[in-house]
Amino acid sequence: MNKKAKGWILWIVILLIMLLFVCLLSMFYGSVGIPINRLIEIILKGEKGGERIILFDLRLSRIILGIAFGGGLSLCGVILQGMFRNPLVEPYTLGISGGAALGVCIGIVLKLSKISGSYILPVSGFAGAVFVVIIIYALSIRKGKIKIQNLLLTGVMISFVCSSLVMLLMAISRSEDLHGIIFWTMGSLAVNDWLLVKISITISLTLLFISLFFTIDLNAISLGEEEAIHLGVNIERSKKALFFIVSILSGISVSVAGVIGFVGLIVPHIMRMIFGNDHRILLISSYIGGAIFLILCDTIARTIISPLELPVGVITGIFGGGLFIYALNRRKVSV
Amino acid sequence: MKQALMEVKKIKCGYESGFYIRDVSLNVYPGDFIGIIGPNGSGKSTLIRAISRILKPDRGRIFLKGNDIWEMDIKEVAKKVAVVSQNLEANNITVKEMVLLGRIPYFLPFQFLESSIDEKIAAEAIEIMGISKLKDKRLDEISGGERQLTHIARALAQKPEILLLDEPTSHLDIRHQISILDLMKRLSRDNGIAIVAVLHDLNLATEYCGRIVLMDKGKIYKSGSPEEVLDYKIIEEVYKTPVIVHKSPISGKPYVFPVTEEMWKRHVDRGIMMAIERKKGLK
Amino acid sequence: MNKNIQFIFLFIILAFPPLGFSSETNIEKFPKRIISLGPQITEEIYLLRAEDKIVGNTIYCIHPEAAKKKEKVGDVVNINIEKIISLKPDMVLATGLTSPKYIGKLKALGLRVEIFYQPKSFDEICQDFIKLGSIIGREREATQIATLSKKRAEKIFSVTKKLNKKKVFVQIGIKPLFTVNKDSFINDFIEFAGGSNIAKTSLSGIYSYEAAVASDPEVIIIAPMGLDGKEEIKEWKKYSSIQAVRNGNIFAIDSYELCSPTPISFTETLKKIARLLHPEIKMEDLE
Repeated sequence: MNKKAKGWILWIVILLIMLLFVCLLSMFYGSVGIPINRLIEIILKGEKGGERIILFDLRLSRIILGIAFGGGLSLCGVILQGMFRNPLVEPYTLGISGGAALGVCIGIVLKLSKISGSYILPVSGFAGAVFVVIIIYALSIRKGKIKIQNLLLTGVMISFVCSSLVMLLMAISRSEDLHGIIFWTMGSLAVNDWLLVKISITISLTLLFISLFFTIDLNAISLGEEEAIHLGVNIERSKKALFFIVSILSGISVSVAGVIGFVGLIVPHIMRMIFGNDHRILLISSYIGGAIFLILCDTIARTIISPLELPVGVITGIFGGGLFIYALNRRKVSV
Repeated sequence: MKQALMEVKKIKCGYESGFYIRDVSLNVYPGDFIGIIGPNGSGKSTLIRAISRILKPDRGRIFLKGNDIWEMDIKEVAKKVAVVSQNLEANNITVKEMVLLGRIPYFLPFQFLESSIDEKIAAEAIEIMGISKLKDKRLDEISGGERQLTHIARALAQKPEILLLDEPTSHLDIRHQISILDLMKRLSRDNGIAIVAVLHDLNLATEYCGRIVLMDKGKIYKSGSPEEVLDYKIIEEVYKTPVIVHKSPISGKPYVFPVTEEMWKRHVDRGIMMAIERKKGLK
Repeated sequence: MNKNIQFIFLFIILAFPPLGFSSETNIEKFPKRIISLGPQITEEIYLLRAEDKIVGNTIYCIHPEAAKKKEKVGDVVNINIEKIISLKPDMVLATGLTSPKYIGKLKALGLRVEIFYQPKSFDEICQDFIKLGSIIGREREATQIATLSKKRAEKIFSVTKKLNKKKVFVQIGIKPLFTVNKDSFINDFIEFAGGSNIAKTSLSGIYSYEAAVASDPEVIIIAPMGLDGKEEIKEWKKYSSIQAVRNGNIFAIDSYELCSPTPISFTETLKKIARLLHPEIKMEDLE
């Protein structure tokens, strides 16, 4: 194994350690303070009760979702930026979040949650996302090949159409629904259902694993689509698989946790500044980096104006944007 | 009789917009240096796309050592045919990483990292192209000529039998033009690689290419040695501009001289005057 | 390889059984530690003199003054479950505004949750009040207060029904213009006070200024966003053809009084509204 690969492995270990640290930080920080000695007592004595619930039910579920979606959204971002060879593309550019938002809004306005409980909103969100994905895909396929330009343009247009429809629904909805819609669109990791959490993390990790098989293809595609074919890469198969991965992953993250922006834009950029353009390290470092970033932002979001909670998308935007500008000034960014 | 590396048999190939190359046949043998020339829009790049397995012909077939390229695995084609396209972007990977990309066709299905063989071959390619000093520099930090050398090194890392170059020297200064073409000539002669290059400069084509293929309006107008193709009648018919073809006093190859408006007005040499008289009949 | 993946998948889903409170909570019938997620609920608990049972409420629970001092667990829609759990409640009283996902979670954690939806009439206000009383162990007091309030309301109605019904428009939102139809207790405010709600048969609360002009109300009552309703009044002045605007019969009532009433405050606000619609009524007549 050569020097480059050894360097990568070292970095991955460092990132994993940072992730562990951030997870522990997030466990202990919150609107209700629980000191470490209490934590040890609780684990050792197997205590049940309020504090255990806070730690292992409420906070742990947020941490796991932070990994699933922070990692997932960054992964989607880095894949899309590689496929489109455009640094400004992020998972929401393709309109998938617009479709999910529309699905959830329709669910809220039709009061579906009163009928079928808390699962109906993520399901309707996911249905909306899938619907949009099918439209985009159908409009971008020509003779069995995905036209990347069409994908981008169609996605952007659909994104606009969906947000207009969402605004329409907001204009005619009742105030309690409106409040719900607004808060949902601002994103939150306070998903109070373990089944959803488990599904999310399983899917997220599985898709990460699958995406690693396409890192070489992404390296080739970064030269250009024709050039990638010249290098013997089956780009149609790669594009379809990667499109599928991005659709499912961003669809599920928007349906379950709402719209959390910037993660898919900022984290891949920072990783590119550190590692360059080799997707073999970019994909996994973006995933771990995204997890760290989202968990940190979530911890801030739920402690800064306790007991109220800020939407996590606010923190990712401000914190992430600021971080990015700072990094830009320190080092030349090129793609 | 050598076995052809590639046989292009009467292909018809084109785009939705309606532009097609038709009835194109070509054989490529080891050690060939073929120059593809022709006016803008004559189908040169389309031909390159067809034989590099990008555009599928509607009619006709293309064979690599007897196997239809569209029935072969795309990786196998990449191990035999390497392409250096026009206008490649300058991105921020290093020279060494770019050349290593050329080893992708040789990666095993679940291989993730380059093997030591890959590293060695890439190093050799860099050495051949003379850019060893630049290997850790980023592509956007080096000159256009050096970038072109890098891309050719990448193509060489694929260990191809045929190297396709689409206008490899059009935007370079004369020093780089000569050095790159010298290198290509050496590769074709010493390593047996067949070079197929789209060239704009007719006189460079005449010096380097053993065979020239002249395209016009999607068809091959004439194919053969420089002496056969670079005939003033043929060139004028295809390029629609008066020229004078004259043997180079140094190499004996036919050179194409443009006829400018000034030259109509000045008589420089009796030979030229006679040529001009002939041309007057044309104009 | 396939089978292993399935197994791992199943394992993850089935592992981590949900944690929760143990279900020995049925020993005590009445709750001792209550979390109130609605301002109306908080005020009603104070009315029933059970305020010591409240261990946490929302930041909008500001009536009476003392309620401000209780521990805060969130706003009316979004709540902080960690905070709630740390307060060790045995009962959570939610409203129709509380986001359903939190209700589901609280129930999943084994807590008793009762939801009080927006009442559609004065009758429902009283019913909900009695229900609240029976839940927290103050049923007798609740019934007494409700009965008293009903009597007062009937007395007020007996006075106003003899008078000319005034056409009334109630505005509870500015952009878009929002009013109430027959499915709200605010409708009862108007009817008991001797008026008729021009939006009674409207399908939803959204209304247009043009429709208001067409119905030409005699009185406009506003629950303002700001303190004094200047914004809303300024908007109405543009439609000078409306009687209420011409005669200056546009009144602002404290949003809280209008929109979150207890049985007692309902009758107090009702008196105010009756006098706004029919200035000739004397206060003593309504007691």
